[in-house]
Amino acid sequence: MEKNYLYCLLRPESDHSLDQQLALLAEITQSFASSLHIEDTLQIAMERFMDYLDAEAVSIFLLENSNRELVCHACAGPVDVSGLRLDSSQGIAGHCVATMQSEIVRDVLKDPHFASSVDAGTGFETRSILCAPLIVNDVCIGVLELLNKKGGDGLFDDRDKHLLTALASSAALSINNARMATALVEQERVQKELELAREIQERLLPSNQEDGFPVSGMNVPAREVSGDFFDFFALDDGRIYFNLADVSGKGINAALLMAKTSSLLRCLAKTHPDPGELLNLVNNEVCETASHGMFVTIVSGFIEPQAGVIRLSNAGHQPPLYHHPDGEFEEIPAEMPPLGILADLEYPVVTLKLDGGRLYLFTDGVTESLIDEQQMLDVSGLIGLIQDMSALTSRQCLENIIAEIRRPGLRQLDDITLVVIECNNDQTEASAEPRQLLELHFEADPDYLCEVRTQVRQAITQLGCPETVIAELILAVNEACMNIMQHAYEGDCSGKIVLEINGSAQDVEFVLTDNACPTDTDCIKPRDLDDIRPGGLGTHFIQSIMDSCDYGHLENGRGNYVRMKRKIGGV
Amino acid sequence: MSYEIREESGYAVVELLGEIDLSCSPRARETILGCLEKGSNVLVDLSGVTYIDSSGVASLVEAYQNAKKSQQRFGLVGVSDAAMSVLQLARLDKVFPIHLTVQDRKLQDESNPAI
Repeated sequence: MEKNYLYCLLRPESDHSLDQQLALLAEITQSFASSLHIEDTLQIAMERFMDYLDAEAVSIFLLENSNRELVCHACAGPVDVSGLRLDSSQGIAGHCVATMQSEIVRDVLKDPHFASSVDAGTGFETRSILCAPLIVNDVCIGVLELLNKKGGDGLFDDRDKHLLTALASSAALSINNARMATALVEQERVQKELELAREIQERLLPSNQEDGFPVSGMNVPAREVSGDFFDFFALDDGRIYFNLADVSGKGINAALLMAKTSSLLRCLAKTHPDPGELLNLVNNEVCETASHGMFVTIVSGFIEPQAGVIRLSNAGHQPPLYHHPDGEFEEIPAEMPPLGILADLEYPVVTLKLDGGRLYLFTDGVTESLIDEQQMLDVSGLIGLIQDMSALTSRQCLENIIAEIRRPGLRQLDDITLVVIECNNDQTEASAEPRQLLELHFEADPDYLCEVRTQVRQAITQLGCPETVIAELILAVNEACMNIMQHAYEGDCSGKIVLEINGSAQDVEFVLTDNACPTDTDCIKPRDLDDIRPGGLGTHFIQSIMDSCDYGHLENGRGNYVRMKRKIGGV
Repeated sequence: MSYEIREESGYAVVELLGEIDLSCSPRARETILGCLEKGSNVLVDLSGVTYIDSSGVASLVEAYQNAKKSQQRFGLVGVSDAAMSVLQLARLDKVFPIHLTVQDRKLQDESNPAI
């Protein structure tokens, strides 16, 4: 029957002309569509409904409080019932919510659903009711109710019902739109607050110190705020306090526990030199106040920079990785539960002598980061990255690892936090010492050039310089090889060439030697580029790309060398 | 390196593909000069070039000079980033006529009929 309401509306014997009905529908729909203040518009609509449908009173009730209550948001008539709350399972309105059907009740006293208590409270005498549900996407959000038809026989008829059903649809839609708009505004407000929280949180993390400071760290939150944190600072006695932690969960609640725990540690570390006792104190504090089963996994400790000794305790955190100076990796395991689970625990202290090695602390955001669509980096992958970058300073190493696991196109699932500790100054300088990245022997045959370029790329990629620099360096080496093939060996493809690449964090050196007759090195110079002609460009390329380039004869008088250098550190 | 030659808009378009170094630049040179010798106007398509060294660049310079001498049209189209950075290093990016596509070159020819 409901589906036929258009037919009923359009019937010619209607009290109102078809034009009038359509005009009302159009007007109401239009005013709902253009309104920014839904409550005001509803109020005006109520008056129009009451006049047009010739009722004594009209009211609109919306479901609230998890649909348990119907609350009057607008009304018209002799009694103001706005704000009135009804139990949504009772009364004719409640019945309408339950059935989601429009309903005419000609004599309320004969209807078992009628709740007379409202009339008793207001003094209004309800005789008949016309009630239509407000439905959006098959969900009832409230009801529209007309009371007591004034004219005719005092009874609402089917035409009134169908018109009210149409008006209710329009009202329901606009109420829903207004709610969505409000939700959007609220969402933006929350977003702004989250950004503010992120700013504050970033300030809780330490800034990296000048080069040579034993600790550096980085944190990249997955969302606006992070549940990870790290900290480090120098104490008056020359020791350095450090920590790295992961609060369970993400978002604001994790960030608040993070702020609390890091503040406690920052304060207590200054007066409690034993890392085990420090964690015990903070654990008891967190246990007392942490709620919702939240906890904190943490590695926390002290460094004696001169001795290169670290004393640390671990509360349920991923084992830190110790990279021995000889290249081996060792996990420093944890046996105790996280902070916030069980009070009065004794956290054991591990003492580690760095001996020129490095200690890596990280959260599971690092090891669980995706390296392709499905595969996670894992500890083994992290070890691989650390090995690739071991020639770099610890700061560069940190930045490159983070860049590697945050390559564009890869989704970041969790907060990423990484801390590197390195004490031995000699070791820092050692990484500045060049080490051999490649020694390649090949014949002066142009067919080998492609393989040479591949090997050069592999060797210098571990220096961590940008692709543009890598491409230039490859071009320069290629040109130098060509010079030897064409000029020193004069096209004799059986001649021998040796390429050595030595790299440090600061610069890279390429040395090419041949066994050809000593060449006149004075003849090797770039040509004037304004003189456009084929050939002679190679030497110009080399000199443009390299910071220095020198040529000479081998001491045994049988061969030549070219040595090319380019700075890369801090570029 | 591999190459393809096609006729397009009154040009012999030589499309070079892959890495052009001393091992193959003589072949690239012969191919391009061969087209010019047949009297064609020549465009070299470098969109598929992943590496080019000075010997490859030298072949292009020679072809350009030969074309000028014999009053044939010559140019480069679709120069890849890898090739462009080498041309820039040689400061030849402003010397060669370079266009995005053969069609772009054709439009310029129409507005400027002189070679």
